[in-house]
Amino acid sequence: MKCQKCGKNNADTHIKRVINGAFEEYHLCSECAREMGYSNVFEGFSHSFADDFNSLFGSFFENALPARTQATRCETCGAGYNDITRTGMMGCADCYKVFADQIMPTVRRVHGNTTHCGKNSAAAKKQAAEPKKEETVSELDKLKAELNKAIENQEFERAAELRDKIREQEGQ
Amino acid sequence: MSNVVMLTRIRLARNLRKYPFPCRLNTDGKNKVVETVVGAIKNSNSPLADDFDVLYVKDLSEAQRISLVEAHLASPEFISDSAGRAIVLSKDREMSIMINEEDHIRLQILKKGFDLEGAYDVADKLDTLLDENLDFAFDEKLGYLTQCPTNLGTGMRASVMLHLPALQKSRAVSRIAGNLQKLGLTIRGTYGEGSEPEGAMYQLSNQVTLGISEKAAIDNLKNITTQLVNQELSAQKRIAESVRTQDKVLRSLGILRSAKLISCDEAMTLLSNVRFGINAGLLEDIDINTIDKLIFDIQPATMIVNKQESLTAEQRDILRAEYIGKVLKK
Ligand SMILES: [Zn+2]
Ligand SMILES: [Zn+2]
Repeated sequence: MKCQKCGKNNADTHIKRVINGAFEEYHLCSECAREMGYSNVFEGFSHSFADDFNSLFGSFFENALPARTQATRCETCGAGYNDITRTGMMGCADCYKVFADQIMPTVRRVHGNTTHCGKNSAAAKKQAAEPKKEETVSELDKLKAELNKAIENQEFERAAELRDKIREQEGQ
Repeated sequence: MSNVVMLTRIRLARNLRKYPFPCRLNTDGKNKVVETVVGAIKNSNSPLADDFDVLYVKDLSEAQRISLVEAHLASPEFISDSAGRAIVLSKDREMSIMINEEDHIRLQILKKGFDLEGAYDVADKLDTLLDENLDFAFDEKLGYLTQCPTNLGTGMRASVMLHLPALQKSRAVSRIAGNLQKLGLTIRGTYGEGSEPEGAMYQLSNQVTLGISEKAAIDNLKNITTQLVNQELSAQKRIAESVRTQDKVLRSLGILRSAKLISCDEAMTLLSNVRFGINAGLLEDIDINTIDKLIFDIQPATMIVNKQESLTAEQRDILRAEYIGKVLKK
């Protein structure tokens, strides 16, 4: 689709607006969009926008670095990484955890920062106020500590026993 | 000062932890979010609790929807879809909450004049009261979690609507716009598009929401606004001395008082000239608030809603001319 303002470039920015009493949807190229004040956030990487995305923020993640862990789907909301790059929208709060590696470079690029500073939700305050639960030492860690002690004390029979138990647990 | 700044607005984006964001929520899910949020408002100990209207987008006519945008209460995005969307409005329209726009909650405080701290204070209190009844999606590191990552962190957009006729005339706005971006702000026309929007009205907002506190963002916006206002005022003083400018202001008032037909665009341009004339001390017997009310009332969809019947473009232009003439009558 061609830009509705200049008619020359490909439209890659989709804008909804009200003008003269009517609702309008408008397709613009990144240049015209910028001229009209619509694309400041994307300065510098708007040219790699895909052609067919359907929101102003679409292909938001187009330039994200390849992720170290390739989570493909959020179990909470069902959004795949593809859905997110296509629409520029996260599916739910958990998506931020699931796709953290993929999106953080872009978040940093847009905000110049990745750490919140400001008001804290009451829910977060409540969580922070709750006494932290004692880290439950896992059975496995206990066994490993015992093993080290046994080796230190040269109780090799005991050590062999413990090693078997650890193997058994790790195999589970 | 407050005459250059026409409106101040604070918007906060919030989401309920329990539900997926609106883009992955079906109509049933959205309706549940509306119910939950409206319930929380009723149970909150806020001034909004006993005195508000809930409008469901699906129940509104096209003109009613558009007039919400003209009144700066809803976004074009919000009215582009009606399924599972509702807006909560205080009787005076100062407080409003769009439900299921891009986020579950877009809480807005709109104040006349220049009052960023005052508007934020009201928004902050309302947000805190809602937070008691709603579990907001929040992350220690990323702040408020939003559907679009551009709003992460505080989820706050603070903006001021500025009337900049003199800076627009000297083509300074587009030059300023480039610099504003480096300061984390963005400026765009309020009505109409391009470098010379209708009525020389612009909206200046903060752009970055992550890693900058609400207070720092507001201070930044306030500083830049103050500088822009001072630039505008000195430019106004300069051009007000020219006979051409004085002639334009008085002619504009003349047309507004006596026209038989007037389009919204023309009226906006002329009202902007008159508003400038009042600010620059060229017109003394007109109250600037009268002009500001006119700017709002003559918007096309708002006229239809107020008249409570459908109108053709020409009927609107006649009615608009009559109305303006009556209000500005000597
Ligand atoms: Zn174009
Ligand atoms: Zn998800």
